[in-house]
Amino acid sequence: MEGLIIALFVCMVLALISKYLSIPAIPFYILAGIVLGKAGLGIVHSDEISQFFSEIGLLFLLFFMGLELKLDRMIADPSKLLTAGLIGLIVDMGIGFTAAYLLGFPLKEAFIIGTAFYITSTAIVITSLIENRKLMMKEAELIIWMEVFEDLVLIIIIALLSSGDKDLLFFFLKIVLALGVMYAIAHYGKEFLISILDRDDETPILFTFAAVLTTAALAIVLGIPDTMMVIALGAALATTDPDAFEQHARPFKDVFLVMFFVFFGVTIDFASGVDLYTIAILCILAVLSKLISGMLIGLTIFGSALSGLEIWSNTISRGEFSIALAVLYGSPVVGTVIAALVIVTTLVGAFMSKYSTWLRRGIVSHSRRKALMHRPHTGR
Amino acid sequence: MALRSLNLPGIGTKYEFETDKGDTVAIFFTKTGTIQMYTLQKGCKTPSAAEMTPVEARRLGNILTGAIIDADQESVEIAFSALADLRVTIHTFYIPKTVAGKTIEDLQIRAKTGATVIAVCRQDKNIINPAPSFVFEDGDAALVIGESDQIKKFEREIMVE
Repeated sequence: MEGLIIALFVCMVLALISKYLSIPAIPFYILAGIVLGKAGLGIVHSDEISQFFSEIGLLFLLFFMGLELKLDRMIADPSKLLTAGLIGLIVDMGIGFTAAYLLGFPLKEAFIIGTAFYITSTAIVITSLIENRKLMMKEAELIIWMEVFEDLVLIIIIALLSSGDKDLLFFFLKIVLALGVMYAIAHYGKEFLISILDRDDETPILFTFAAVLTTAALAIVLGIPDTMMVIALGAALATTDPDAFEQHARPFKDVFLVMFFVFFGVTIDFASGVDLYTIAILCILAVLSKLISGMLIGLTIFGSALSGLEIWSNTISRGEFSIALAVLYGSPVVGTVIAALVIVTTLVGAFMSKYSTWLRRGIVSHSRRKALMHRPHTGR
Repeated sequence: MALRSLNLPGIGTKYEFETDKGDTVAIFFTKTGTIQMYTLQKGCKTPSAAEMTPVEARRLGNILTGAIIDADQESVEIAFSALADLRVTIHTFYIPKTVAGKTIEDLQIRAKTGATVIAVCRQDKNIINPAPSFVFEDGDAALVIGESDQIKKFEREIMVE
């Protein structure tokens, strides 16, 4: 219990520092966990309480993702998004998977590392677009929709990974049935739900908290992945009043997700048998794979390498979803690799998204100067 | 001028329009509560941006509608183009010492100027539709509505009394 409070206090200080420097806080939380936990000083240990808190953090993260999935709001040009999304999926996941497999990871672990390569951190990407005032760029809109595309891919991957060796037909039938019930409740109980959310006493926040935890508990009883059901709950409730749910779920997400990051760091163990060499290669590749996919997307959609550079510098950061995959399905070795991946990419990403405009300007003026120097002497 | 608006997941609402001369203005109401405004000159690659709080954005909006703004007095002119181009101006005035202690009736505001005091702001409390017997105090801010001529008359005849 004391460990939990120490961790909370450290995180609060780190949050203040990271906000002051306006860089993402996620790598700091993980680093704090590593320093305080098994791999470092050993002050903080993971116990039942911290595990429960981390689990709540993960559930609320996924519930939020579901709330944002408003599929009725479609993008103006779906084919463009599909192209960009598929390029990202194939290139990033391909590079991550192949590299991990060649470095000696088993098939399933390589697949998880590949997915962690692909899924960027929606929270970091969106915040950095706002804070670096890049919303107007033509690439920004595509990047925002690519995040939604990644969320959809992640849902499919969670379904695939958690189906495991169970009876597939029965498994998916149960999921479809649960989804149906949830959408029916959201549809027929809409008036009632909104009347609860409109109250200004403790009921809306209590209802939100209970709804998420009850859904997760029921899912486990029914033998279907609680993670998927919580995303589905968010998506179903998004048809009622998503803004109110976001408002009531935010405090839980904010606090417990920080716990989730710290205790992910705490459980990292460098003695788990992964060498620094492997980690370094994967981290460098993680930055490079987004450069390749960004360039390809920039060239196919906007016909410009500079656009590709811009897409790259804003989508380097991997974060919460990569960690979630590591926690849910990864072995300790995969956890260590993904922790390093997240720390390196978020820091590189924060730097690149801040200075990409300079980089762009530098390249443009350099090529202009070059073009001027090489201009043939005509018209004499 | 074509205005388009769209919802961006995780970000908020975007409004964008292109002026007749080819410049582009984009406004984003972000979920964090701030408002970002980008302007992009025709033929230019990088936009310039400004981030505003809702209060600052409203102030900017008042300036853009063409109302006169003094340091701390604001006015808004609303034109109802469907009603024979009816124009109504709303103006805030800080009550000077000379007026403090008098009622709306004493000052004969309606008879003298034609304008109407529709609200008074006193130390962060708002009094809507003050009665004729309402007594002004020093430091009150009065919200006056009328045609722009009536507002000018109010400024000349009541505020300097």
